[in-house]
Amino acid sequence: MSAGLTGVAPDEPRRATTATVASASRDGEFVFATAQYESGDWDSAPLVPANLIDSVARYTSIPVAPTGAIVPLSSAALLRYPFAWLTGHLPVRFSDAERRNVRLWLERGGLLFVDDHNHDVDGAFHRTATEEIERTVGPLRELPNDDALYSAFFRFDDGPPTTSHELNGWGDNLVHEHLLVARIDGRPAVLYSNKDYSSEWGYHPDSKRFMAVDNTRFGVNLIVYALTR
Amino acid sequence: MSAPTAPLAAGGEQAPSRATLAAVDRLRRSLDAIVWVRALAQGGVVAMVVLVAARLALMAGAPVADTPLLHTAWLAVAAGVLAAAARRWRDGRLDRTRAALWAEEQAPRAFAIVTAVEPQRADVRALLEPRLSDVPWSAVAGRAARRALLPSLAALIVLSAVILLLPEPAAIMGARAAAAAARGEGAGSPMAAPGAGVGAVTVVVRPPAYSGLPVRTERDPASVSALVGSAVRMDGRTAGALRARDGDAPLAVSRDDDRWSVSLTMPERPVVATLSAGGRDRLVLLTPVMDSTPTVTLAQSVRDTVLRAPTGTIALAAEARDDLGLASGGFEYIVSSGEGESFTFRGGTVGQVTLGGARKATLRADLRLDGLALGPGDIVHVRALARDANSLGGPGVGSSETRTIRIARLGEYDSLAVEGAPPAEADSAALSQRMLLIQTEKLEEDRPRIARDSLMTRARRISSDQTRLRKQVGEMVYMRLGDDVGGEHSHFPGDGHEHGAEGRLDPDDILARASAATGGGEPVALDFHGDETPVVAVNKPLLEAYNHMWDATRALDVGEPARAIPPMHLALAALQRARQAERIYLRGRPPAVVVDVAHARLQGRTRGEDNARAPRPASDPAAALRAERLERALRLLAAGDSARPDAAALDSLTVLRADALTSDAALAAALGTALDRLRAGEDAGAALRRARRLATGAPVTRGGLRRWGGLP
Repeated sequence: MSAGLTGVAPDEPRRATTATVASASRDGEFVFATAQYESGDWDSAPLVPANLIDSVARYTSIPVAPTGAIVPLSSAALLRYPFAWLTGHLPVRFSDAERRNVRLWLERGGLLFVDDHNHDVDGAFHRTATEEIERTVGPLRELPNDDALYSAFFRFDDGPPTTSHELNGWGDNLVHEHLLVARIDGRPAVLYSNKDYSSEWGYHPDSKRFMAVDNTRFGVNLIVYALTR
Repeated sequence: MSAPTAPLAAGGEQAPSRATLAAVDRLRRSLDAIVWVRALAQGGVVAMVVLVAARLALMAGAPVADTPLLHTAWLAVAAGVLAAAARRWRDGRLDRTRAALWAEEQAPRAFAIVTAVEPQRADVRALLEPRLSDVPWSAVAGRAARRALLPSLAALIVLSAVILLLPEPAAIMGARAAAAAARGEGAGSPMAAPGAGVGAVTVVVRPPAYSGLPVRTERDPASVSALVGSAVRMDGRTAGALRARDGDAPLAVSRDDDRWSVSLTMPERPVVATLSAGGRDRLVLLTPVMDSTPTVTLAQSVRDTVLRAPTGTIALAAEARDDLGLASGGFEYIVSSGEGESFTFRGGTVGQVTLGGARKATLRADLRLDGLALGPGDIVHVRALARDANSLGGPGVGSSETRTIRIARLGEYDSLAVEGAPPAEADSAALSQRMLLIQTEKLEEDRPRIARDSLMTRARRISSDQTRLRKQVGEMVYMRLGDDVGGEHSHFPGDGHEHGAEGRLDPDDILARASAATGGGEPVALDFHGDETPVVAVNKPLLEAYNHMWDATRALDVGEPARAIPPMHLALAALQRARQAERIYLRGRPPAVVVDVAHARLQGRTRGEDNARAPRPASDPAAALRAERLERALRLLAAGDSARPDAAALDSLTVLRADALTSDAALAAALGTALDRLRAGEDAGAALRRARRLATGAPVTRGGLRRWGGLP
């Protein structure tokens, strides 16, 4: 399980106004960006970035920055990242600035991966996030399980891998067989997951050595897909 | 028989006889009627003249007015009424004296009748009465009527015949259209429509009832903008067969003799209605106007907030606007409760109002926190919503930004943000010891199945790792004694240095040395004080771990993993105690995990699969296609006459504009400007150049210059 909200001094809005760029990033390196939005707990999965960075390094030769970046969705800095991870438990409501900036970034080729950390199709995150995505980009449709995403690096013949929370009946007690996709001019712009990969991948990368099968390999596919689609 | 004698007036004059007066009054009424009829007849003549003149002007090629008030029929009626009124006013009031004067002029026998209608002396009256009794008043009036009315009636008859002989306006327009088509004039011109069959087109747009917009009529438009859902009807007159289609889809055509009508409902996409008759096509572009969703701006509260207690009232205010009209508005809230991985949600609305179609409204409400049953840690998300009255596609819903009101948790105000210290080195040692233990247990498990050589190789590898770990622990021990990190090398054998026999550490000896270093008496275990120097601390569990590791190493060196396992367990337990003895409990943000990319590079046990990747398509293939179509249309324009643009080129540009309306609004606008100028016979070079720049995007290198419109 991931950590909850971090401690925040009272009467301070939970916002940051600048993106934190990976301190050791160099030109040409892939930087894992965590999307920061104003309305909810965008930082509910703090270990996912490091875990996926480790996986990218472990399985590919893609130059990757050792730490991720936190990027406000309303910031022009978002345009510097080809991929952004968005998750949370609480309702998602984009401000006008966030919506405009996200639309501009997606039109220019960015890929936003949104994961419901509640794993609950009846929950407020799913309802509000899908609504915001449809307002910003367009309708969400099921991504076919033979899409290029599932063979971008590792092969997943059955579509998106299931998570332990799905199998344990957590949240909506459903195993979601498809990811959802919103497209711009036929090109995937937003991928949406009900499968709670934030919990599945929310652990220290050092713990990976004790796993017989690395469950973060699908994250490698996501990043390779974002960089090569 | 003479009239009865009137009473004597003053001065000996008598009043005129009643018979005379009655006769004159009858004459006056007759003349009055004749004057009115003559005025009306002349007004009618004027109206007929206007109609004939308009018909002749239409035949001569005058344009058709689009404004209803300027239509010929209205003009004719207005002219006739004005003429009649002017004539009647000019004739003036007809009283008895004027009637008598007129009678004197018209009938010789009515000599001195003016005198007869005034008081006169009895002898004059006796003289006049017999003469006036013989005046043929009816004949006089009849002659007057004939003289006054016959010319006007004749004119009316002649003009009516002329109008009946002249062709109908629709036929005139059709003939003009045919003439224009024969001359090859462009599509959409008010003066011409391709093909003798299509003729003039009238488009009537009836917007949806919810919009409140009026019905609009346009004559011979090249393009019509209509709100989505509007009822659009195209009318005209065509002698022959007429077909209508939208792209490849046929449109139903209603016929009534030579009148035709095509009706459709404006969809959300542009419609290029192609009307075909007599082998020629006419395009009418219908562009949709989307009903935009309301815009809502939250004015209160202006920022998120954290409250200590869930009491009080939050004042909410918002401004809502819509292009056509607002139906309702209010505020929506969602309450999130929970933490970590477990949240529950509930929602509601407040301040719902009906806005009755206003285009602008202010929403206000008070959110009472007491009624929401909030607890510590709960978050209330609030936003304003407004709906328009769109009854076709469903009401458009506009929303404002979201504000959050969070209730502070109980211990929140006592928290301090503390940056966590990096993990103690003993932590990494514990993890390594655990791994060594797992490897040794695995080796023991495999021992019956593997050869002795393999057993020794693996055992010594584990022993080497154990030795390295032991050295790290030893370095920690001696670092705390004030010696340098290489203390083990200096003071303890065990790694091949020539400093003494190999062996386990003696805790008492270590403690004695520690007390000597501190200058104290009895050796006591001192707390570790961070980076204070000199560091004097002895950690017995670390020493125990060091000795147990030593035992395990010796067992592994002789290939006895089973004997190494118990001391490894003990070493692990000692390290755990050492870690707990010196643990610093942290509060606040966990340290950021920095991935050792170089260490992890390609260490994965599995490999990705080679995939045949399809080449990435052009970022916008539709834009490239539009650019090609524009080039072809421009070549057609260049090949034709600049004064009369080729109809096919205009149609191509019209269809391209329709396609660009939904995907490239700037290009559609540029093409619209260019088409307007081309149809008006004006220079459209600048507009076409702009359209080309928009269509082609960034400059590209070509093999040579292309020929277009006179440019070099």
